[in-house]
Formats: sequence, C-alpha cells, structure tokens
Amino acid sequence: MPGYAIVLASGKLERLQAVSNIASIAAASDVPVDVFATMDGLEAFDAETVANGDFEMGPIGRAMLEHEEADMALFTENLERARDIGDIEVFACEMSMDMLGKDLDAYVDLFDDVLGVAGFLNRARDKQVVFV
Amino acid sequence: MSETAYEPDVTIDARGATCPGPLMDLIGKVKEAESGTVIELLTSDSGSKNDVPDWVDETDHEYLGIEEDEDYWRLYVKVA
Repeated sequence: MPGYAIVLASGKLERLQAVSNIASIAAASDVPVDVFATMDGLEAFDAETVANGDFEMGPIGRAMLEHEEADMALFTENLERARDIGDIEVFACEMSMDMLGKDLDAYVDLFDDVLGVAGFLNRARDKQVVFV
Repeated sequence: MSETAYEPDVTIDARGATCPGPLMDLIGKVKEAESGTVIELLTSDSGSKNDVPDWVDETDHEYLGIEEDEDYWRLYVKVA
C-alpha cells in the first residue's frame, strides 16, 4: 500500500474528525500518510480555535462534543497519537499562513513542516490523493 | 470482571472512548507485545465489533472472538 496524501481544506469539525480517524488508523497500520492542511482546514488548527473548541460544525459535531458517555478524542489528539505509533506527517500550507501573516507558532504543536503546492505534489506523487 | 474462555495476557480498558480510540489502543499494544500474547480489549464503542476483526483480517494476527457484557464488549486478539 503506497499510502494516502490527504488534502484537508475544510474547517468543519465532522470532516476534521473523519480525516483524523482514518489517517490515524492507516498510519498506525503502517500505511504512510501525509496530511496537508490548507485554507479553512489549516485555520482549524489555530491554537486559540482549538483551545476554545470554536469550530464550524453541524449536528453530529455538536453531539460529539456534548456526548456525556462517549469520550471523543479531538482530531488534534488523534493525529498526535498516530505520530507516536505510526507513519504520518502533517504539513501546513505556506500560502494560507502568508495570507493571514501567521507562522507555525500560531497553531497547535503538531506540524512537521510548512509546505507549498509543489512540495505537496512531490510527496503525493506515489500516494493516493484524498481531498477533504 | 467477568469470566472469559480466552485467558488473556493483557487487558486494555477502552470503555467510554469512541472510534478510533479502542482500535488505536489495540494497535499500539499489538505493536509492542510479544508473539503469542492474547490481548483482551474492553470497549463500549459498538463500531469496534466489526472494526477490530476487519483490521485483524489485513494482518497476520488472529482474531479469537468476542464476548458481550451488559454495556460493553470484550474482544480477543492473539499477536502473531
């Protein structure tokens, strides 16, 4: 299995969770995964946004956050855990950061590096690309 | 803890955690366990019932079975 290159362009909680769930199980199963967070998908990793749980979400996202009996790990925790036991790298889109005048310090401490489109395409060449 | 027919060497209590927590816990343990280790996974996430055997299917490990308790399940995996 050559692995997945996931373009995460959505800031919607349900999509962030779905990406982190699939990416983390794939990586933990020794399937290489690259996650390229861009546009709204990158902004969901903003440290303040994560701290406040201030995500765009629908009914399932709200249910996940409010469920009393189920303990749902946030997408950031899933990805962090996947890095501990699997083959996964997470990249931040340079252009999105430039537009907002931000650097990696503004985001949760999860990113391996900053990447442009060419860098992403190089890494994605031998992988299946998934756009979310 | 209820009686089980599988004689586990290790127990992971992932009750309360949602997908993919229980499976991640299991994979983490499988990776560090010695060959022949029988792992018991306690989960209240009903998705684990299919997800764990589906994951084991793609590996060399062995899915031994499942037992049901009142509000959770016990799944057994033997490490290859």
